[in-house]
Amino acid sequence: MNRKIVSSALFYLAVAAIVLVVLFPFLWMLASSFKTQVDIISWPPKIFFSPTLQNYRKVFGEQDFLKYFLNSTIVGASAVGLSLVLGLPAAYSIARFRQRKLAVFILLARLMPGISFLMPWYIVFSRLDLMDSYTALILSHILIALPIVVWIMSTYFSTIPPEMEESAMVDGATRQYAFWAIILPLSGPGIITATTLSFIFSWNNFMFSQVLSMEKTKTLPIAVYNFLSYAEVDWGGVMAAAVAIMAPAIVLTMIFQKYVVKGLTMGAVKG
Amino acid sequence: MAGVVLRKVVKQFGAVKAVDDLSIEIQDKEFAVLVGSSGCGKTTALRMIAGLEAVTSGEIYIGDTLVNDMAPKDRDIAMVFQNYALYPHMNIRENMGFGLRIRKIPKAEIDARVEEAADILGLGDLLDRKPKELSGGQRQRVAVGRAIVRKPKLFLFDEPLSNLDAKLRVAMRAEISKLHRRLGATIIYVTHDQVEAMTMANRIFIMSKGILEQSGAPMDVYSKPANLFVAGFIGSPAMNFIDATLVAADGGLVIDTGSFRVRAPDSFASRLGAHAGRKVVFGVRPEDIAARAAASVDEGNTFAAQADVVETLGSEIFVHLTCGAHAIVSRMEAPESPLRVGDTIEVQLKMAKTHVFDPETSLTLV
Repeated sequence: MNRKIVSSALFYLAVAAIVLVVLFPFLWMLASSFKTQVDIISWPPKIFFSPTLQNYRKVFGEQDFLKYFLNSTIVGASAVGLSLVLGLPAAYSIARFRQRKLAVFILLARLMPGISFLMPWYIVFSRLDLMDSYTALILSHILIALPIVVWIMSTYFSTIPPEMEESAMVDGATRQYAFWAIILPLSGPGIITATTLSFIFSWNNFMFSQVLSMEKTKTLPIAVYNFLSYAEVDWGGVMAAAVAIMAPAIVLTMIFQKYVVKGLTMGAVKG
Repeated sequence: MAGVVLRKVVKQFGAVKAVDDLSIEIQDKEFAVLVGSSGCGKTTALRMIAGLEAVTSGEIYIGDTLVNDMAPKDRDIAMVFQNYALYPHMNIRENMGFGLRIRKIPKAEIDARVEEAADILGLGDLLDRKPKELSGGQRQRVAVGRAIVRKPKLFLFDEPLSNLDAKLRVAMRAEISKLHRRLGATIIYVTHDQVEAMTMANRIFIMSKGILEQSGAPMDVYSKPANLFVAGFIGSPAMNFIDATLVAADGGLVIDTGSFRVRAPDSFASRLGAHAGRKVVFGVRPEDIAARAAASVDEGNTFAAQADVVETLGSEIFVHLTCGAHAIVSRMEAPESPLRVGDTIEVQLKMAKTHVFDPETSLTLV
């Protein structure tokens, strides 16, 4: 009996330790975004302070934050949208015609360091006069989103019995129509998982935008980075901007976490 | 409506021949059952007829049309799958009308045909439910309903009853037979269950290892099996096979098993004569072994055996007998005084119904 209490106490202690390690930077950031510059750099750190919205006012007022926000949204949504258009049929084909090697190949593209793509892209896009264009940025972000879509969805599709579309095909459908009318409507959870994850990865991407975008198409992570390099470091502004960037990703995850966890674990077990 | 012809059809998966040189002819309005143990190629054959699997070589005709390269949707067939394959996101009405909607049939007619099929199958109250709200038996009916609203030339059933419990299976068996008469359609039905095959078919096609072993009316296949495989596959409990030697004696032929000797009927003589002195396999169905009636005359068809296991089914019993080195199953009427394990009884064979096989070719001699 005693041993049980001890072991469960140890368990929760471990959980608390892990949660603290994971959440501490986030909490620090959140608290700092509501602090004045003086409070932020004071030592020992102030746990109780009078919160201010000054930092947020500065971020959204002085900086053109809304524009960067919009850029990130345009790039992320377009890249994910195109990846779904290309990736769903590809994933279906991989699942049904057992092209597992192709799937691994696509995943490899994701595992290669992104920076190795940047040099050729830089040359190609500048020759085509596509630097600082949405086109270039969206195309580069497809490299982030497409492998996620293909990988998650090919696993998902292979859990749907093939008799579904075979039955539709005998009933008079083409394979394409069966995919559209039968398979896609059954794939909601998988599509939500793939969309959420690939959008967040695109949203958080720093490197591609840093090289391929300039003032017009600058995305959020670059904007925050630029915060740092100007004059003195405005910690309060950086923290507020970081919170503003993270918020959509966190909200998305919280809304869809049920599906995301299901989608990911399913991939893990069935893969 | 249409007949179906398979001519020298081969299906190869890599190095494995799933279907090997299969030639069958199914008449218009026939209820044809492809039966065999799992992996015998029966489902592959059905899927090739449906167009879900490409033919490696050979020809498939539905009616007079060569369908080798025709898409499933153009073959005018309907198929019922083992797992029913109902569309989970559509209600029953939409499920049944799916094929008609694709064919752009007017909505009023779709509704009428769905209602009609629902009436036939007793699904009237369930039309607005989703498949997951239905029991296994009801889902099975919906799958059948989805097939019949299309009014196709040909129905294909792929083990449709194997997911149902035993009682429901018996009921659905009768219902599908009734449906066949009512629709006057050609049906090709695949099953591993020889009872389903025997009870429903006009004609049975027995397959093993990708090859057609025998085809014919159920009773013909039962009483005149072409070879050892068919003899062992059809009938329950399975036929007893006993290694024996054919001996010429007493002016006739005697089947000598080493444990007992029985006299072959004179009618066997013409076909067995050449095999005298050779090894054969003697085949007796359990139902052709009876306890010897006290008054009967021994016509060289009786021997004594010991009861090892007695299984009582009510009106009849299965008795596992031992006679020398041989174990024999018999199926007989329940005797008035119960048979006990260890009892020795005189049994009598219905010799005219027994079979003799050639062990080398495994073909039937008699």
